[in-house]
Amino acid sequence: MEGFVSTGLIGVSLGVQYALLALGFTLIFGILGVVNFAHGGFYVFGGYVAYATVHYLRAPYPLAVVVAVLASGALGYVFELFLLERVIEDDLSTLMLTLGLYLVIVTGVLVTFGPESPEFAFPIRGSWRSGGFYFPKENVIMLSVCAATIAAVYLLMYKTDFGRALRAMADDRQVARAQGLRPRLLFPLAFGLATALAGLTGALVTPILCLAPHLADPVLATSFLIVILGGLGSIGGATLAAFIVGIVEAYSSVYLGGSKGALTLFIFVLIMLVIRPSGLFGREVHGA
Amino acid sequence: MATGMTTVTAAKALQGAELHVEGVAKQFGGLKVFEQISFRLQPGDILGVVGPNGAGKTTLINVISGLLLPTHGRVTLGGHDITRAPFHGRSRLGVIRSFQQTSTFRPATVRENIARAMRFSHGSDAPPLGTDALMMRFDLAGRLDEQSDKLPYGLQKMLGLVLAYVTKPKVLLLDEPAAGLEVRERVQVDDFVHHVREELGCSILIVEHDMDLIRRICPQIMVLDSGRVIAEGPPAEVLSRPEVITAYMGAADEEEAKLC
Amino acid sequence: MARKFRSFLRSCGAAELVSIGILVLAFGIPFLSSSPFIGSLVTQILIAIPAAFSVYVMLRMDLMTFAVPAFMAMGAYSAAIAGLRCGITDTILLAALSFAVPALVALPLGAMVLRLRGVYFVLVTFLLAQITQLVLFETPQFTGGSNGLAGMPATTLFGLALEDNRSVLLLAVGLALVAAIITTALTRHYRQHFAAIKENQVLAESLGLVVWHYKMLGFTIAAGLAGIAGFSLLNMLLTAHPSSFDAMSSVNYIAYAIVGGAGSMLGPVVGSVVLVTATNLFSTRGEYSPGFLGVLILIVVLAMKEGIVGTALRLIRNRARRREFPLAPADMPYLPVAKSTAAAERKAEN
Repeated sequence: MEGFVSTGLIGVSLGVQYALLALGFTLIFGILGVVNFAHGGFYVFGGYVAYATVHYLRAPYPLAVVVAVLASGALGYVFELFLLERVIEDDLSTLMLTLGLYLVIVTGVLVTFGPESPEFAFPIRGSWRSGGFYFPKENVIMLSVCAATIAAVYLLMYKTDFGRALRAMADDRQVARAQGLRPRLLFPLAFGLATALAGLTGALVTPILCLAPHLADPVLATSFLIVILGGLGSIGGATLAAFIVGIVEAYSSVYLGGSKGALTLFIFVLIMLVIRPSGLFGREVHGA
Repeated sequence: MATGMTTVTAAKALQGAELHVEGVAKQFGGLKVFEQISFRLQPGDILGVVGPNGAGKTTLINVISGLLLPTHGRVTLGGHDITRAPFHGRSRLGVIRSFQQTSTFRPATVRENIARAMRFSHGSDAPPLGTDALMMRFDLAGRLDEQSDKLPYGLQKMLGLVLAYVTKPKVLLLDEPAAGLEVRERVQVDDFVHHVREELGCSILIVEHDMDLIRRICPQIMVLDSGRVIAEGPPAEVLSRPEVITAYMGAADEEEAKLC
Repeated sequence: MARKFRSFLRSCGAAELVSIGILVLAFGIPFLSSSPFIGSLVTQILIAIPAAFSVYVMLRMDLMTFAVPAFMAMGAYSAAIAGLRCGITDTILLAALSFAVPALVALPLGAMVLRLRGVYFVLVTFLLAQITQLVLFETPQFTGGSNGLAGMPATTLFGLALEDNRSVLLLAVGLALVAAIITTALTRHYRQHFAAIKENQVLAESLGLVVWHYKMLGFTIAAGLAGIAGFSLLNMLLTAHPSSFDAMSSVNYIAYAIVGGAGSMLGPVVGSVVLVTATNLFSTRGEYSPGFLGVLILIVVLAMKEGIVGTALRLIRNRARRREFPLAPADMPYLPVAKSTAAAERKAEN
């Protein structure tokens, strides 16, 4: 019983991380219509920037996280503004550009820091005890920050003019443009916001789990999985799907072993993509 | 149908087939686009479908041509039920439509466009009678090796009509053929429609906003408003009916200008 | 037989003939150079070429596929299983198997995924690649799991064992050549159909083209081509291992096709040559090569959309445009009568 519950807690914890990760991905797809192949790259980038800030600049960890967020956001903003905007009308070209960016980021990180995992640990150790369960402090703090950020993103998207403008762009780019919203201004901001979220997740999670260049691939695959399941472009769907994936992954890795859980999930999502490309909650997006 | 139409020779009439649309309705989720539309189209008939924007006209063409399936009702061609026939299947049977936008294979040459239209539909290399005259009328005959997207917009639209023509259609559904054309170019649509009737003998359904065009070429029209047929008959008579005028008054100013 | 060959030649375009010519000439490489570096490099290029063709065939229908590693794995593993477990070593048989198995698997897969387009198709093929790799790991009794299938016996051609490096290279040339001929036959014979699907699928369908037939055909053959690449890889490594068929490696094959130029069959060939060579030149600093690939992709997409071959052809054509119009291609027999009168009228005017 204890194992069951603690596995469930791990699943929920994974879910929160995945939700933050998937939010950025689904924002980009929903608003810009872009599949960001570099998403995993921004995760790794955020992790390494935080690590470098702590390790080389001797800065405190919270500051390093902030630096990582700003750096990831800035990189995404600049990339969108100067490169993506030029081909944004052509889906496959934008996809290829993000692919190119992914390769450049991962190689850059690899070359700068080497392929081995650096020593990057959360500054607070130990755990809290409650009712027979151990809650590692790092996890709790990381989860709280993630959850708070998710809530902040929701607030931003649903309660502010900026968020409303972004959602209007997602619904119909032409109409939004006709109403005076400026994609040229909003798109880089949206992209930068999404990449900042990925960088934040990286900065928070990698000291707890692991930091290495090759992590970009599984992070991307998981993001795909979650966002397709939840519905490309749907924020609520991505969040829900993140928890589903997190919980399934926790239970299957504990009780089934290996990657059988991942395999079942992938196949399930594949079938769903074929039957219902809009996922659980997504809208019909062009191209289906 | 109405008198006053030029008679179609018996031989040509055999090339068409009767299109019978019965009680057709379409809705998306809770949104009812149109309901209970019925009409019959005999070879040689020309039916205009008009109405304010959003009345469901293009959706009607989508349903008849097979891009969408109707929620209720039946569509039969020459007695065969084609309500659920796939899009490409219907084209093979002779129900051919034109498109409001991008109606050509853009980077391909005029020649390639026409060759493809014939190969995909009936598969033979021989264009139907009257193709050459049509090409000359539209000033396309000398431009066979030009890329279609390098042509002026008016010519591109005409090429789109020619593509529909060379498939030897039995029923031709034209979706706003004059949209985007300058006033003096619109006469070409008249010529096209007459040419189709003379040479192919098929039936034509035209969705249009240009009332002058409709008045010139359609002996019979159907007015759609908010998904229902509110009037049917010869254009001159129908368009002066009060309920038709009211329906249009509710729409944009541009419709008013066209009615005058 | 000679007549069919001649009509095949006539229907080939210049790009196809040049590509096939290059590959035929490649048979001579092992006799020109005995350097193991060159041998290995050329072999790698020849393994990449059928995979790049697979991407190219799909791109002609405006579909970008990330599933090449999946079908490569199917080809490689079927050949490995046939070789190790069933004792089949005949090259021709194994090659046919490595084409047929992925092609057959592609049939039900295609029926499922080909209704999707654009970005959705990309995602679905990416998922397929992930799933295939996971399946390879999770079914050890069948595929050897994370150990893969090692100790593949040398393939034999008409009884001769192809064991040394030179034979492996020649086999790779042969397989690439077969792939080139298949690609040529498919893309030339159905050129107008694929182009119509790519340029305006709805219009093509409205005119009566049964689009999904052609998509299925393209998808199946593309799968077979990737399978051949997988078999070629197996020959070089003599081991079938999941790490050779990583999902992200699909980026490489897509890059070969796009950087070379997806507009003609010569593009994937040129792309493979240029990119595989470049990656190998970085071999001392191998970790730079993905970054280099990334930068190239960025440059090509932003500035050279038609790739190396396409851009070069465009520059040549701009020069040649001073001269007369190109002739109507051989597969367009339609000649309306009006053309001659219109042309005659024009001549009379000038």
